[in-house]
Amino acid sequence: MKFGKKLRRQMEDTLPQWRDKFLSYKDLKKLVSLISATQPPCSKAEAHFIHFLDAEIDKFNTFFVEMEEEFIIHQKELQERIKRVAEIYGVGGSQPLEEKYEAEMRKIRMEIVNFHGEMVLLVNYSSINYTVKLTSISGLAKILKKYDKRTGGLLRSPFIEKVLKQPFFTTDLISRLVKECENTMETLFPAVLDQYQTGEGGERTLIMAEQVFRNTVSALVTMKELRKGSSTYGHFSLPPLSLSLPDLDLLQSCMLPSPITIV
Amino acid sequence: MHKWKEMETRLALPAVKVTVEQQLCKSGNSGVISSSLPELPVIVEERFPELPDSQLIPMDEMRNLLVSPYSPYVSNTGNAQNLHSSPSGFSSVFHHPPIVPHERHGNTNNTAINAGNSLSTYSCKGAFQASIDNFSKDSAEVAWSLDSVQGILNSDDDIPGSNPIQSSSVMITDDLNKKKEWWTNIENEDWKEILNDTTIVESQSKVVYPAAQTSPNVSILHSQIYQSIPCHSGDLIAVTSPLSTTTVAAKPRMRWTPELHECFVNAVDQLGGGEKATPKGVLKLMKVEGLTIYHVKSHLQKYRTARYRPDSSEGMSEKKATQSEEIPPLDPKKGIDLTEALRLQMEVQKRLHEQLEIQRNLQLRIEEQGKYLQVMFEQQCKSTMNKFNTPSTAEEPSSVSSDPIDMAAKTDTSINSKGAESSKQTATKRKMPELDPSNPSNADAIIGCRFFSLTLRWWQVLGKPFQEVV
Repeated sequence: MKFGKKLRRQMEDTLPQWRDKFLSYKDLKKLVSLISATQPPCSKAEAHFIHFLDAEIDKFNTFFVEMEEEFIIHQKELQERIKRVAEIYGVGGSQPLEEKYEAEMRKIRMEIVNFHGEMVLLVNYSSINYTVKLTSISGLAKILKKYDKRTGGLLRSPFIEKVLKQPFFTTDLISRLVKECENTMETLFPAVLDQYQTGEGGERTLIMAEQVFRNTVSALVTMKELRKGSSTYGHFSLPPLSLSLPDLDLLQSCMLPSPITIV
Repeated sequence: MHKWKEMETRLALPAVKVTVEQQLCKSGNSGVISSSLPELPVIVEERFPELPDSQLIPMDEMRNLLVSPYSPYVSNTGNAQNLHSSPSGFSSVFHHPPIVPHERHGNTNNTAINAGNSLSTYSCKGAFQASIDNFSKDSAEVAWSLDSVQGILNSDDDIPGSNPIQSSSVMITDDLNKKKEWWTNIENEDWKEILNDTTIVESQSKVVYPAAQTSPNVSILHSQIYQSIPCHSGDLIAVTSPLSTTTVAAKPRMRWTPELHECFVNAVDQLGGGEKATPKGVLKLMKVEGLTIYHVKSHLQKYRTARYRPDSSEGMSEKKATQSEEIPPLDPKKGIDLTEALRLQMEVQKRLHEQLEIQRNLQLRIEEQGKYLQVMFEQQCKSTMNKFNTPSTAEEPSSVSSDPIDMAAKTDTSINSKGAESSKQTATKRKMPELDPSNPSNADAIIGCRFFSLTLRWWQVLGKPFQEVV
């Protein structure tokens, strides 16, 4: 159950509030094995599996949509704040005070970056759950196939179709938000920083301890691993991930260990 | 015989539903559910007896079904905004039956138009896109539900307190094709005249109406249907609940969009700000059909939280907020450090997002192609079995073997093209190729299998070029 292990690791690193929102892969697997235990697989067990799957999906959907809503609100608020700060403390503003301006902008920047990170993590989370679902359903399909060649295969695609159109998988909105956020950030960050060499990594470490950043890096790493040539490569597997992010390992090593270990 | 039993169960359902509904109302859940639940069994009831006979359910009948149980509840809503609450209750009906989605990726326009036409047909007050979305999905998915229902009820599976239909979305189908045919008939006849939309009916492929639409399409819908409303560009899309109707607590979820939120903010500002504005007032000002006071209430709450505690806007960012406050005012150099670190973080995040997007597109395409293959395979089998007796000629193999190459070629080009959407379209169009059924024979079965495995192998080969795209 290599996938399960990877999943668990990702979950450990994830934002604490999100941990229970992942589809419980373990439980799904258990159910699938339960189904295979009955011979031939009785529809009751199957129904139970699907029932459970649906409940999970529902839970996930709720979470996703609510997070989406909050992101929308938050995004708007950030934009408002930026405007306000520029108006008040900015160069042409009513109380031009560069120090204050800088401080506020710094705060805002940090928030924005983290906000962006959160959104991306939500997308990642959605992708993971999709994979979990896929895996569990194909597990079920494999079992069913043994006993009924035809229905086993057929079971899968309608499910996947359904899964696809679930709100949590239609992440277009969030992607749009992310892009908007990125655009905002472009204007926010000072243009060129190359001349300022960073002497110490103190602040950087502080940043990297930030929950969101950790999760992002961890998500990338996990994704990379998941898509490495796996033994169960089939025609539904995704190709290996080729990331041109050479510092990924470096980043990982910079990260402080997680304060909380999840059993 | 068991059919009668099933029907009885259906008829017994309303009682169950009403109880649940009352509970839900008590628990103060979104009132949208209130009028919706009892409708479900009625609909299925009507459909169910017809299906085995492959009869068509006239759309008028369906409409009456939808309207009639609905009317007693209109008065129940007791809301000033009758228009808003009742239709929204309407929408949640269609979340419940188990679903086989009809699929059309990225073709959101159809949904808008479809919904638009359906809306004009169904004269329920203010019935809006979401409900019709779900309804069309619903009718389309009856085939699925029938089988699942049969499967469950055959095994005497009586899950107390919940709709058997709900709990069963197991697809144990013997004659899926038969249902498909039935559905195509319905589609072609009734929906054609109702919808007047050939783009919907044209495809024999399944059509799915994603729960969330991108705003432009829905704006079209809104502007078509509703009079000019200040917020008409806002998108109101109720979210469907998942695969089956399992949990009665699966309330229809509002899916907010930035535009809608903008509208909301305007209304709030007009009313004097977040603190002064009342949900009722905001709702009135927004004038968005289908929005209920509960939606507005919860949204307003979130808004207030975000506004008046900008540093720790939502629970999630509390931790970060504390950390950010701990950072003392920095001198310029450290400020630069910070900024650069942030920039790095941003880079990483952007990268992750990119990868996720790519991954998602790949997954979608894989699924679609897989489905396509499946359909092809089934068609092959069907044509083999149907015309078992007629003499065979040698033409079939060539047409068959050209197909995978064709498809592979198309896939190849579509992979290399940037737009994932267009490739999906291509695949969709190729969904139901006209196979020449003229030479059925025993050999066809073998050819069919060979074809399938050939295409499969193509897929594995095609996996390699993906790397270049990535």
